[in-house]
Amino acid sequence: MPYRLEIALNPDFFDAEGEGIRQKAFHYFGLKLSQVRAINILTIDADLTADQLKTIQTEIFTNPVTQTSSFDPIPVEFDWIIWVGFRPGVRDNPGSTAVEAIEDILRIKFKPGEAIYTSKRYCLKGKGLTPEDADKIAGELLANDTIQRWKIFSQGNWDPEEGIGFIIPKVMLDHVPCVTSISIDSDETLKRISDKRNLALNPNDIPIIRAYFLDSKIQAERAIVGLAEPTDIELEYISQARSDHCNHNTFQGLFHYQDLSTGRTEVVDNIFKTCIKEPTLALKEKKPWVVSVLWDNAGAGRFDDDHYYVITGETHNSPSNMEAYGGAITGIVGVYRDPMGTGKGAKLIMGGYGYCVGQRDYNGDLTPYLHPRRLLDGVIEGVRDGGNKSGIPTTFGQVLFHPGYMGKALVFVTAVGIMPAIVDGKPSEQKRTSPGDLVIMCGGRVGKDGIHGVTAASEVFSETTPAGHVQIGDPYTQKKMHDFILEARDKGLIRFITDNGGGGLSSSVGESARFSNGCEIELEKVPLKYKGLDQWEIWISESQERMTVAIRPEDLDRFLALSKKHAVESTVIGKYTNSGKLHITYNGKTCAYVNLDLLSSGFPQWEFDAQWQEPEKRGLCEPVIREPNNYKALLTDILSRPNICSREWIVRQYDHEVQGTSVIKPLVGAGRDVNSDASVIRPVLESEKGLAFAQALLPTYSAIDAYHMTTCTIDEAVRRLIAVGADLDMIGGVDNFCWPNIQYDSEDNPDGKFKAAQLVRSCRALRDICLEYGIPLLSGKDSMYIDGYLTGRYGETHKVSALETLQFSTISVINNINKCITMDSKIPGDLVYVLGETGNELGGSEYYEHYGYVGLNVPQVHSRQFATLYRALGSAIEKEVVASAHGIYRGGLGVHLTMVAIGGDLGMKVDLALVPACVQRTDRPSIRVDRIDTILFSESAGRFIVTIDPENRKIFENIFKGLPCACIGVITDKSGDLIIIDSKNRGKSKTIISILVQDLKAAWKKPFGDLI
Amino acid sequence: MSKVNALVLAGYGLNCDNETAYALELAGASARRVHINSLIDGSVGLDDFQIMVFVGGFSWGDDHGAGVIQAVRLKTNLGDKMLEFIDKGNLVLGICNGFQTLVNLGLLPGFAGDYKTRSIALTFNDCGNFRDDWVSLKVNPSSPCVFTKGFDFLELPIRHGEGKFYSGKAVIEQLFENNQVVIQYALPDGNPAEGKFPFNPNGSINDIAGICDPTGRIFGLMPHPEAFNHWTNHPDWTRDREIMKHSGKKPDSNLTTGIRIFKNGVDFLARKNP
Repeated sequence: MPYRLEIALNPDFFDAEGEGIRQKAFHYFGLKLSQVRAINILTIDADLTADQLKTIQTEIFTNPVTQTSSFDPIPVEFDWIIWVGFRPGVRDNPGSTAVEAIEDILRIKFKPGEAIYTSKRYCLKGKGLTPEDADKIAGELLANDTIQRWKIFSQGNWDPEEGIGFIIPKVMLDHVPCVTSISIDSDETLKRISDKRNLALNPNDIPIIRAYFLDSKIQAERAIVGLAEPTDIELEYISQARSDHCNHNTFQGLFHYQDLSTGRTEVVDNIFKTCIKEPTLALKEKKPWVVSVLWDNAGAGRFDDDHYYVITGETHNSPSNMEAYGGAITGIVGVYRDPMGTGKGAKLIMGGYGYCVGQRDYNGDLTPYLHPRRLLDGVIEGVRDGGNKSGIPTTFGQVLFHPGYMGKALVFVTAVGIMPAIVDGKPSEQKRTSPGDLVIMCGGRVGKDGIHGVTAASEVFSETTPAGHVQIGDPYTQKKMHDFILEARDKGLIRFITDNGGGGLSSSVGESARFSNGCEIELEKVPLKYKGLDQWEIWISESQERMTVAIRPEDLDRFLALSKKHAVESTVIGKYTNSGKLHITYNGKTCAYVNLDLLSSGFPQWEFDAQWQEPEKRGLCEPVIREPNNYKALLTDILSRPNICSREWIVRQYDHEVQGTSVIKPLVGAGRDVNSDASVIRPVLESEKGLAFAQALLPTYSAIDAYHMTTCTIDEAVRRLIAVGADLDMIGGVDNFCWPNIQYDSEDNPDGKFKAAQLVRSCRALRDICLEYGIPLLSGKDSMYIDGYLTGRYGETHKVSALETLQFSTISVINNINKCITMDSKIPGDLVYVLGETGNELGGSEYYEHYGYVGLNVPQVHSRQFATLYRALGSAIEKEVVASAHGIYRGGLGVHLTMVAIGGDLGMKVDLALVPACVQRTDRPSIRVDRIDTILFSESAGRFIVTIDPENRKIFENIFKGLPCACIGVITDKSGDLIIIDSKNRGKSKTIISILVQDLKAAWKKPFGDLI
Repeated sequence: MSKVNALVLAGYGLNCDNETAYALELAGASARRVHINSLIDGSVGLDDFQIMVFVGGFSWGDDHGAGVIQAVRLKTNLGDKMLEFIDKGNLVLGICNGFQTLVNLGLLPGFAGDYKTRSIALTFNDCGNFRDDWVSLKVNPSSPCVFTKGFDFLELPIRHGEGKFYSGKAVIEQLFENNQVVIQYALPDGNPAEGKFPFNPNGSINDIAGICDPTGRIFGLMPHPEAFNHWTNHPDWTRDREIMKHSGKKPDSNLTTGIRIFKNGVDFLARKNP
């Protein structure tokens, strides 16, 4: 019989969780609760004696100082009770650790089927709270329908003896696993089956798949192993491997590109090859520090003679839109497996994030599945728990609010690792499987989680997206596996390693078997969470926290002993062969037998029509604005805009110092609260070398031209590293594209051709700028289909497509961390310089957005000139004559002068007449600058604010001779004013702005200042 | 003189073992990371060590209260061996998750040699969230704690979601009476935080950030001394460097505050066993 233990804080003890819910109920819905108390519930579905129950109650589950517990419902005052528990099959991490602790203390083993389930009961008090209010709090605050269920009790229907009853979310699949043959008598039949089974096969692939299975030679081979028509597991394998998510069909597609302004048409073949692969290989030739790119789970660069760093980034958008917390934690924990599966395995040392969401306070007519505020809160918490519990510092990140992300919010996650250059006497970045090696699955078990997750990510999000692909990552299980893998690696046991992410075993085994050219898998050996999974489900399940490892048979005992020590489950599930076949059996019977080279031959390229029209011809123009006269209010208001203001609350809940490596933190300055340009860590504690890391996102420029969006994004990410002291020649990049659907459809995607052209332009920009700056793309991913259908006020639905978005990450080795620079002003009397030219480039700017305009003059990158300037700044930092350096990014000079002043908690006086400005440019006469608002808010790329000790003036100015560099003012006293004048008297008065830095800081901190 | 041997616990979701071992080495010890299971199955014994460090992390995911399951497992499987270790005059240090484990084991507060009673809780921060920030700490000069000798003020990072120090009035009074309260959250000027957020980041009673047992040889604290192992770990280092440059000075290349805490422990043992 089951038991139910309720655990509550003592009545006089402050309930921080309850208080958080009380506040959220008010902030989200305006509901005033007077008290919320949370009760933790363990439902124990195991045969335990009364003594055993007593032991675990007192020794494990009740803190004698703060808690009380009871096997009967604990009486806590309430007006409403809301019980929330997981749905069957949803990962219950605390439930698993409870079993572990109980088994240890009682020295017993749970029998098959026995388990602990955790749930919560919230006791709400509040005057006049209606049943509808309780329902809202349950469904929109406490629980998420996709993974949880809930019950609401009023005082009338609560039985104080019965409590919540006994709810056991056990998975019971009354199903005998079976393999189904699929008829391929015609293309139409296969198409129909593909739709029915959610295989998402591309119609163009279907004839190729049929031709393979109809080939007489293939049929004869199949007959020997007892197969005829393709099985479901075989088609699932092909579908996974051919999905856009795994195969990047879009980037490898054929684009029919037409420039409407010139009338020119051209065929653009495979933008992955021409814009990403070829430039990176060319740069690898020139840069010996580039170690491994383009083939492994992450790219590798040289850190020092003995270490390589590895980096990759990805997105986890679709699942996070369904279940923000689960999607995001699965995303961060998932990307952390990529470095673990790079080379022979890397240790994780740093993480980054980027969130693109709708406005947090959105109150319009559209109803996304999750309100942006709830979505963002959940995503923040998911990455927090995933990163913190993995013991990996989260050192950099960004949040961007834009209505376009109401359709699909974006969750970018980035992972950085480090590995020894040599493992067991051999290069660590190399790995391969060989015939005879054993296939081992390590880590978690397999359930129905995430089935068809990959194909769901390749589809537009709608009400029919299967919720089953939402999972909850488990950083605890993965951390144990991480420690185990590193020890196994150092003992030379790992021949090959890769992670189980999208596509599960299908993808990891399928890809690793290409090295040896074959494998035989005994699927019944795969450990399952519960019985009843079909063979194809075991094969493609995306259950998390798993790695696939190849080892030599003679190493098996040592490998398993080490696995046991680390409390990690490892199972031999087959062996690698050189048969050329992916051969899967279940209890000795063949259920898949496919040529491994099927996937690399013969499938047709995807094709897209792309149509470009210049911004002017699309009707974009500069807005007509006469110059403002209240700059103080203007600057203050811009500082309070959601995309400019302080987001300290997010940074502080992320552990950014674990591993003891922190050099430049995400928040810096006298008040330790201003965003640094980049973060720097010292990953090898004994070394004075560092790794600098930064990211940039500038999607609003895509509204004008994705080419310049791309160059500006990359320039910003590069400049961020330069500002802390990185060397341009050592910078590597990671591109993460998120694009709306680019396949034209006259009804559903009428501007698809334009979006396709934007993608082509963006990739060309990526190629151009990376070659010019010399930035190899160490890694990259793309996520297409960032569109959604939202219901409006009258029941109509709107397709909402996000702006074409690129998150670009940069990383660089720092030779001597002791010379790194932060952005905050340091000492009164220091001189303020602006480097780089300011042009009239307000197109897509924060300033125009503040007024509701887009404009036309999008900032452009002049990489050659910029690179010279960046090298000069690098040299000044190397010579130690720079006190602070800060890039001028979104919001322009006005915003970023403020940041430098706030950072130092010092005043500043500057003269805008001295700012290096474009007075004449023959190529772009329109960007001439002659107005104060343009100087203050233009977002021209390639610029910095630098402060220096006046003693260093001569050396500093010498370095910048002939470059756009001017001293525009001076740092003044502690807690002073920011004074901006214009000695050319272009404003109404000579003094444009004079305001206490403290007041600017207050305005900048206000919007999210109450959040913790 | 042979080196002081330090045991640094690892595994099961702990995550500060590498930098803690590094800090101990800098402090002059010979440090070894040992998986909890190696200690439990006896393949590594406590006899070879003079310092045992319970490090930070999320042992068992912190799912049923931070440090609770780690304490249960160690008590069940090691129990008396740890008490013997302490009896020999060795040192025990618990940092963050390690501190949480020490109070759940009952090694702290350790009143009158009772190393089994749980009378202190480290529970959810009043602010309702995990928090990473640097804090100022006032050191009790009268405390017997061997690790904080010579300090009156410290700056260290905190990184936790469950760091609120709580106990009944009698226990708190006794802690103060015995000078077992070693460090308290303070304002940057050294005055008591008096519960004020974010200086007291978690709502700890009486701003308590760390305590020792009556012998001063068992020390538990929420802040992370091992994360201040290099001068560039300090949030003000680029500012301090600039100020020193102006006055013609070089940055302080001595051991950091964090390492000196470990060194106090190592030196204590070296003096004891010359």
